[in-house]
Amino acid sequence: MRRVAITGLGVVSPVGSGCGVFFAALLAARSGIRAIKVAFPHGVESVVAGSIDFDPDTHFARAKLLTMDRVSQFALVAAREAMAQAGLGDIARREGFAPERFGISLGTGSGGSGSTEAAYTALLEQKVARLRPMTVVLAMNNAIAAHISMEFGLKGSSCTVSNACASSANAIGDAFRQIRHGYADAMLVGGSEALLNRGTIKAWQAMHTLAKPHVDGAYASCRPFSKDRTGLVLSEGAAMLVLEDWDTAQRRGANILAELAGYASTTDAHHLTQPEASGQASAMTLGLRDARLNVDDIAYLNAHGTATDVGDVVETNAVRLAFQNAATTLPVSSTKAVHGHTMGAAGAMEFIASVMALRAGQLPPTAFLETPDPRCDLDYVALQARERKGMRAVMSNSFAFGGSNAVLIAKAI
Amino acid sequence: MNSDLINLFAETFGIAEEKLQPGATLESLGLDSLAVIEFLFQIEDQFGIQIPDQANPPRTLDEMVQLIEPLMPKPGSAPGGASARLT
Repeated sequence: MRRVAITGLGVVSPVGSGCGVFFAALLAARSGIRAIKVAFPHGVESVVAGSIDFDPDTHFARAKLLTMDRVSQFALVAAREAMAQAGLGDIARREGFAPERFGISLGTGSGGSGSTEAAYTALLEQKVARLRPMTVVLAMNNAIAAHISMEFGLKGSSCTVSNACASSANAIGDAFRQIRHGYADAMLVGGSEALLNRGTIKAWQAMHTLAKPHVDGAYASCRPFSKDRTGLVLSEGAAMLVLEDWDTAQRRGANILAELAGYASTTDAHHLTQPEASGQASAMTLGLRDARLNVDDIAYLNAHGTATDVGDVVETNAVRLAFQNAATTLPVSSTKAVHGHTMGAAGAMEFIASVMALRAGQLPPTAFLETPDPRCDLDYVALQARERKGMRAVMSNSFAFGGSNAVLIAKAI
Repeated sequence: MNSDLINLFAETFGIAEEKLQPGATLESLGLDSLAVIEFLFQIEDQFGIQIPDQANPPRTLDEMVQLIEPLMPKPGSAPGGASARLT
């Protein structure tokens, strides 16, 4: 089996775009969550969200934007950063790869949902007789992969996974296996989400899982593992990585950031929305086995930690099940407190946070965790970033509605 | 060429006017075949006209103007207005 190198990272997020800005915000516990005004047909509402101030004109020609939903715009901007970091932004640098050996594996929960909503709005509210010709290609889930493939001339397999909150973690894991087992030499991987539209917000409100605005300010509304947590915060963004066969990366003199060492995916087969600790724990255990690591080798765990009442307790129990005695000393944090839940992009975004923590020897904290829920009794790196040099490996958890669990493990080089 | 149309085109796509030569291909101006279809659709909506389906879609700026211009409403009768930006 071949080893898999991580050689590029890219992020567009509510706490800032660009990996450096993103990770600095995580370490400083600087929240990108705020109250936005959304005009619903029945009136304007204030909604707590991780919304990105994004000017498409600074990234794309207008002609191109006619065929790109916001979700594809985020995806491409993050992909450009990851490819540039990998030293593959320039076409001449990609010549060492056979085009059909360089693939794409992405995750998204709802793809171009803004375009879908715009189409229904036009049809049902404005009562138009016909829709924009681009409606289908703006909204289709795999448009994100198509746009990236065209920009970089990547002609290998391209697949788009839709597994709710685990989408991009599964996408990364699938790509990892493609390289490991020799089907591809490099893969552009990650996820993108742009779901802050009226229908999606109303649907989530109806689930009664969204955070209420916090008394200190909307920015402090996502409070994972906290006694006073009230739910998750919907966010948008994209996160992309470049994965490569280890030897290929070394031969071309790439700067290897870390090794993608393990992946596992399980399904609870239990309930649509209630997670189950045993399914999550088995994903962590199988991930460790896949990476040939022991529980003691994991020096940091980026939790799924959405700040829902049930989710945080079940994940805590799952970590105890999987890590046994090592759970007591394992630093675990949820960076969703500051960037919110980016759904289909979350797995990739948090895996990037984990890889950057591994490289920096700095653990991003769980922001706003002043009083932990007594049922959540792990070391959550509360409030302040922590130095931890010499880490061997880190783990990132992604657990989805529908019972899908995905765990990724990165190892220091 | 029809200056209303050219202005609209320049504004919609943020293209400098000196690049908008009659013989310029739409592709060279950054429009692939889908972007052309989307633009023609917006023109139809904007001016309340119907552009017949084309066996050979316009390839150059001039061809596009030739296609649209005869169908344009007379001044004062347009429901939208040529100065509005299409998005």
